[in-house]
Amino acid sequence: MQIHRTYRTLRNYTNGWVIASLIGAAAILLPILYVMSGLFRPVNENWATVKTYLLTDYVIGSAKLVLLTGFFSTLAGVFLAWLVVGYAFPLRRFFRWGLVLPLAVPPYIAAYTYGTMTSYTGIIQATLRNQFNIQLPHGMMELSSLRGAVFTLSVFLFPYVFLLMRTYLERQSGSYIENGRLLGRSGWGLFTRVVLPLSRPAIIAGAMLVIFEVLSDYGVASYFGVQTISTAIFQTWFGMYDIDSAMRLAAWLLVIIIGIFILERLLRQGRRYGAMSSRSKPLQPVQLKGWAAAGATGLCILVFSAGFLVPVGQILLWATWTYSSVWRSDFVDLLRNTLTGAAWATLVVMGIAVLSAKSVRMVSNAGAYALARLMTAGYAIPGAIIAIGALAVFIGLDELLSPLYVWLLDREEGALVLSLSLPMLLAGYVIRFMATGYNAIEAGYDKIPRTYTEAAQSLGHKQGSTFRRVELPLLKPAILSGFALTFIEIVKELPLTLLLRPFNFDTLATRTYQYAIDERIYEAALPSLLLIMLSLISVIIVLRLEKGRIR
Amino acid sequence: MQGSWKKLYIAAAFILTLALIAGCGAGSSGTPEEPTQQAAGGTNGQDQAQPEEQAQPEAGGEVNIYTARHYDVDAELYSQFTEATGITVNVIEGKAPELIEKLKREGASTPADLFITVDGGILNTAKVEGLLQPIESEVIDAQVGEGLMDTDKEWIGLSTRARVIVYAKDRVDPAELSTYEALAEDNWQGKVLVRSSTNLYNQSLLASLIAIDGEEAAEQWAAGIAANLAREPEGGDRDQAKAVVAGAGDVAIMNTYYVGQMSVSDDPEEVKVAEQVGVFFPNQDTTGTHINISGAGLIKHSKNKDNAVKLIEFLTAPAAQETISLANYEYPVNAEAKLPELLASWGEFKHQELDFAVYGENNPKAVEIANKVGWK
Repeated sequence: MQIHRTYRTLRNYTNGWVIASLIGAAAILLPILYVMSGLFRPVNENWATVKTYLLTDYVIGSAKLVLLTGFFSTLAGVFLAWLVVGYAFPLRRFFRWGLVLPLAVPPYIAAYTYGTMTSYTGIIQATLRNQFNIQLPHGMMELSSLRGAVFTLSVFLFPYVFLLMRTYLERQSGSYIENGRLLGRSGWGLFTRVVLPLSRPAIIAGAMLVIFEVLSDYGVASYFGVQTISTAIFQTWFGMYDIDSAMRLAAWLLVIIIGIFILERLLRQGRRYGAMSSRSKPLQPVQLKGWAAAGATGLCILVFSAGFLVPVGQILLWATWTYSSVWRSDFVDLLRNTLTGAAWATLVVMGIAVLSAKSVRMVSNAGAYALARLMTAGYAIPGAIIAIGALAVFIGLDELLSPLYVWLLDREEGALVLSLSLPMLLAGYVIRFMATGYNAIEAGYDKIPRTYTEAAQSLGHKQGSTFRRVELPLLKPAILSGFALTFIEIVKELPLTLLLRPFNFDTLATRTYQYAIDERIYEAALPSLLLIMLSLISVIIVLRLEKGRIR
Repeated sequence: MQGSWKKLYIAAAFILTLALIAGCGAGSSGTPEEPTQQAAGGTNGQDQAQPEEQAQPEAGGEVNIYTARHYDVDAELYSQFTEATGITVNVIEGKAPELIEKLKREGASTPADLFITVDGGILNTAKVEGLLQPIESEVIDAQVGEGLMDTDKEWIGLSTRARVIVYAKDRVDPAELSTYEALAEDNWQGKVLVRSSTNLYNQSLLASLIAIDGEEAAEQWAAGIAANLAREPEGGDRDQAKAVVAGAGDVAIMNTYYVGQMSVSDDPEEVKVAEQVGVFFPNQDTTGTHINISGAGLIKHSKNKDNAVKLIEFLTAPAAQETISLANYEYPVNAEAKLPELLASWGEFKHQELDFAVYGENNPKAVEIANKVGWK
């Protein structure tokens, strides 16, 4: 009976879409599964050391960092989004998009910028010391350890929550909140009793993005000396030269992540969110006056300064110091490499994302959902670990194709072709950042009522033409914003790029790293600045698209 | 001529791979409509970008480097080398352990000819992993000082740096300073600054002390340092010097070249810091100051061996050595090279007489000890 039913399901759903997305899934999952296989390899003696001296501390470190950063960024994101949507105050229209801009600053660049600024020779202490003769006690001003990491990650990741929450409030919730107001709720009561419960899916989605970013983060945690599972992976690898134990740790990290996915799924169980129609009346903001208005504006200015104005201004200043010694004519190449790498990888991500989101919608069962989720798991794995998975798969592929190379290319036995080429790096990007693309498309599909698709099909359209003529036009904004978000992530990416790039392929991120690793922060400013500007353009494109959609 | 053929072949290979992928897709799915086409479109796109990025060998041949050194001066020297010899230098920069992993996985097929990195321990790891082969060159033998290369000449030193004690000039009399070991004694409690033990510089220092003083004494030393710390380890080497000047502690363990770089920093505040600290070379009356080395190893499966050796000869010649030293404040390995003024002003010093291999051999032990004694 069971078998028969499975067979019927299979037959019903076996079509080009599903098969194509299964092929895509296999390509993405292979390296991820390679990492997972770390769990089943024999344990060596180093693992005992890792378990005795590292594991507990590092798991606690990760938990602290995730909880604190998750809490602060969610708090900031939710509160500021409600402020900007629900109330009118001076500069509100600017902050609607201004508060998204911290996304353009890679957290590792922000970390060393703030770390240096608050240090003894940094601008703050130096000014106090030289102008006002105030010597601060050591440790008062310095951003370091857990404090520094939580601050940096919260300030530069909260826009994920802010963006999702704000969009949700503006699009979906207008009438509910209006009704809440009509029924006499206002201020705090309205926020806690109506707004918060209503926007649970948006809050959870944003918080999940933040959590995964934090779990996979290596740059910020290692700069501030916070011990996390990610840093433990690298300590095991670099300190003990034990890649197997490092992979085992990464596999455990994956298990934790899948656990969080399941938890999220359970939290949402049995509730269907989302407005009945795709159009909902926009919310009318309440005008703030006097101190309240000044307070709202002041708070937004504070957050905007911390997340964008101050660090970017500082980097700009440093860039003017070192411009002449750092500028090399190959900056044009850096820019071109960064752009082409990111653009191609993003195209592939979006292609696979559309295919698999469409397949999940068609098949719509737990298995398909799980598969899609696993495909996006790369988001939470440190880049260097994904790089090892990709390297293993591509070198294997080269071995497989070796007879072909000999026959066709006249290369010697065992020549490496694919694994010395750009496609390997692109594959790494695709695996790592499937999530940003997929989530955007999934959200886009959620807004298209199934009845549209069904209507088109009952009018005689096949899946292909239904997709082309009905779904694709409706999905366009989601595809574009997914494209821009994925693009930003790839432009900022560092560890994967370091390990998987072909010869002489430098990007802005690798040039920044080259200086920053050697504590030459001022020299790192120029490539950092270009990197930020490039992401800034993408952020602005996302925001433009949104604006167009609202009208 | 050969180059353009190679390019053509590579392009052909990708078209073929593409055809294969498309063929598989069409074969397995009964309905090859948009999806397969879309997937194929994506792959096609990647391939078109490919030939552009491919390294282009020239008449003079090429040499491929995997390097974990990442200084502007290195790139400058490579381009000087190309100018002088017509040999193209292709580079992949990365972190040393990752590059070793890459070399291991690529095996006999690796395109790399040279592996360049900082730290004798890592160079030795590359050797022990069987990634390197002996370098035979009389020129190099004559240019590089004794003890500054691998015992089997599988790697050759390019520059060295010393890990010294930096002290606050206004509070510490250098006469109070003597050895690394003395910093672990009670009278320095709450005054010592050093970065995290996860950093390789500290691991190699600890590894060298394991070799000299024995494991037990090294563990006691690490425990003493951990107990004497003025604050939890944070930041890099420069941050330790800044913390000394800020008054967080009195002495810091750090590398020499950072002091040099700070003394010419674009930030006047950093220059002030460099002026307020003194540099002390410890263990002069005993076992010598700890030094570490940058070096280049010849890859076992190198396909451009002669070019690789030529490059090492070039990099260890007096001219290149002076360039490196002047730009980075590292010590040259060629005795004929002139020292920059600042390094000359610090004077000659006695350094540890150890085979750098022990840094690698003792590294796991060092990591374990640091974890055990709670040196964060």
